[in-house]
Amino acid sequence: MKRTFAQSLALYATVIFTLLMILFPVYWLVVTALSTTNELYRLPPTFWPTDPQWDIFARVWAAKPILMWLWNSMLAAVGSVALSMLVSVSAGYALSRYSMRGGATMGLFVLTAKMLPATLLVIPLFSIFSSFGLIGSLWTLVLAHSTMIIPFATWMLKGYFDTIPKELEQAAMVDGCSPIGAMVRVVLPIATPGLAATALYAFVLSWADYAYARTFLVNSPDNWTANLGITTMQGEYVTYWNDISAASVFIALPIIAIYLFLERYLVGGLTAGAEK
Amino acid sequence: MANISIRNVSKSYGALNVLRPFSLEIENGEFVVLVGPSGCGKSTMLKILAGLEPATEGQIFIGDREVTDLAPGDRDIAMVFQNYALYPHLTVRQNIGFGLKMRGTDKTEIDRRVDDAARILEVTPYLDRKPKDLSGGQRQRVALGRAIVRQPQAFLMDEPLSNLDAKLRVHMRAEIGALHKRIGVTTVYVTHDQVEAMTMADRVVIMQGGLIQQIAAPDELFNNPANLFVAGFIGSPGMNFLNAELRDGQLTAFGQQISLPRATTHQGPVVVGLRPEHLTLGEGPVTFSVRPTLVESLGSEKYVYFEAEGARIADGEDSKSKGLIARVSHSGALPRNEEIRLGFDPAQLYLFNFKTGERL
Repeated sequence: MKRTFAQSLALYATVIFTLLMILFPVYWLVVTALSTTNELYRLPPTFWPTDPQWDIFARVWAAKPILMWLWNSMLAAVGSVALSMLVSVSAGYALSRYSMRGGATMGLFVLTAKMLPATLLVIPLFSIFSSFGLIGSLWTLVLAHSTMIIPFATWMLKGYFDTIPKELEQAAMVDGCSPIGAMVRVVLPIATPGLAATALYAFVLSWADYAYARTFLVNSPDNWTANLGITTMQGEYVTYWNDISAASVFIALPIIAIYLFLERYLVGGLTAGAEK
Repeated sequence: MANISIRNVSKSYGALNVLRPFSLEIENGEFVVLVGPSGCGKSTMLKILAGLEPATEGQIFIGDREVTDLAPGDRDIAMVFQNYALYPHLTVRQNIGFGLKMRGTDKTEIDRRVDDAARILEVTPYLDRKPKDLSGGQRQRVALGRAIVRQPQAFLMDEPLSNLDAKLRVHMRAEIGALHKRIGVTTVYVTHDQVEAMTMADRVVIMQGGLIQQIAAPDELFNNPANLFVAGFIGSPGMNFLNAELRDGQLTAFGQQISLPRATTHQGPVVVGLRPEHLTLGEGPVTFSVRPTLVESLGSEKYVYFEAEGARIADGEDSKSKGLIARVSHSGALPRNEEIRLGFDPAQLYLFNFKTGERL
């Protein structure tokens, strides 16, 4: 169907408006980083700094242990992703494939855990972690983030596994695979887009966390994650928003890089051809 | 290759019996077709045979080995699925060789056997493609290749042709038949299509409601149906049925008394069956007049739909005419609503018990 000019106009206007909404905060972050402190407080604000401070990135990188913070964030995120995927893949597969007494109820119960706010869970988690002597360790984040990720990831993966025809595993079993073998050799390779999307979701959730990191790690500066580290840059009397923005740009970069890397796996349609 | 023995296998989900005790002896190399309307239990039986579903009761033997509780992979069978179930992430070569690889077959041996299977099924040019780059017919061949490459004791096929278009279906039907003749492996084939059953099978098992209705060779089924269901299911168009009265060997139907050539002691109401192709245009030993409600032309022959007193629609038969059909050879015009004469030979009538539907 050919679009009329008015339809095209409406379409592009919507796309541009949406992009503006999404990208403006990112643009403002960069502008803030590049502006001098004086310019930041000027009214009306300038939309591009008169004297962009390109050296701010090098200065912030040298002044703050940003690499260490990023490394800690990375460890916590990779750990959370690994643990949650292990649990969610098994749970999602079981919910998708096996009917058991109370299976559906159990599945919904898992999902309700996702509805509990982090602030509600932070106190019991704190007391559990402190009784295991884990407070201050990155393991607290791996475990706490997994409690947030697993319920939703389980449901995302269940939904994906539901789209994969059962006959593929049956064929694999007739071909000599065990039920686990059929899952590993046939279902998981086909589920790659679903796995990638879930892993990305898990990674972003862990990377973006502040509440748990602040509660469990505040007294262990060596284990600070990037988000926690940045907030410590806020001074009691003076806050250099340009420094904070520059550090924030560094923290956003890994997420962008991961999106670019996983993008090709996120493309669906790998099951095309399994059936007619 | 082996014979298969199914002994009193049943399947129920709680109170729901999907398969009543089912027993069947399949000879080595035989091609057996399970046929019936959807929900008759034929696919369930095949899945139990494959080990993909456990039987509630009963035993299954393949060759001399009891396989009732063995995993699918340990039964030495191969299965072809309705939707092909090709592994989309593997190439055709890997798809065909997958079962051999799982059994730890040597790499060069796998290659040799995959090449052989590919040659038999003429898929050699596509060996390095993924399933999504193949047409429906090619996918079906790859699925068959995956089955034959393992040289199993038996093939199980679950409606393998129902996803193909009509022309390809006829072609693949002949190919599967030829393949079976060539390699002679015991085959159990499930379909809802009576034409497939009739053309391919050595023996047909007709099922309905989880029960075997009749086990017989195709011609035997057609000529000697055991009951109303089988009579109505086999044949296209299906057999005509009429409610009629039988008294002292005299049948009251089509508004006249018909003397039955065969002696029968049965008295009272019966169901009379008459195949559409046994009706002829013009005079016969018994002749009656009708006004066609619809005439469908297939070129050399015509389906003449007409109404008659006592006409009865067989189970599962489409009821668009609410009447009877005559399949007559005639290439001229047959106007609707103009009286014509139809004849038949009473020796070709089938009689069924009015209550039980069993053949008299």
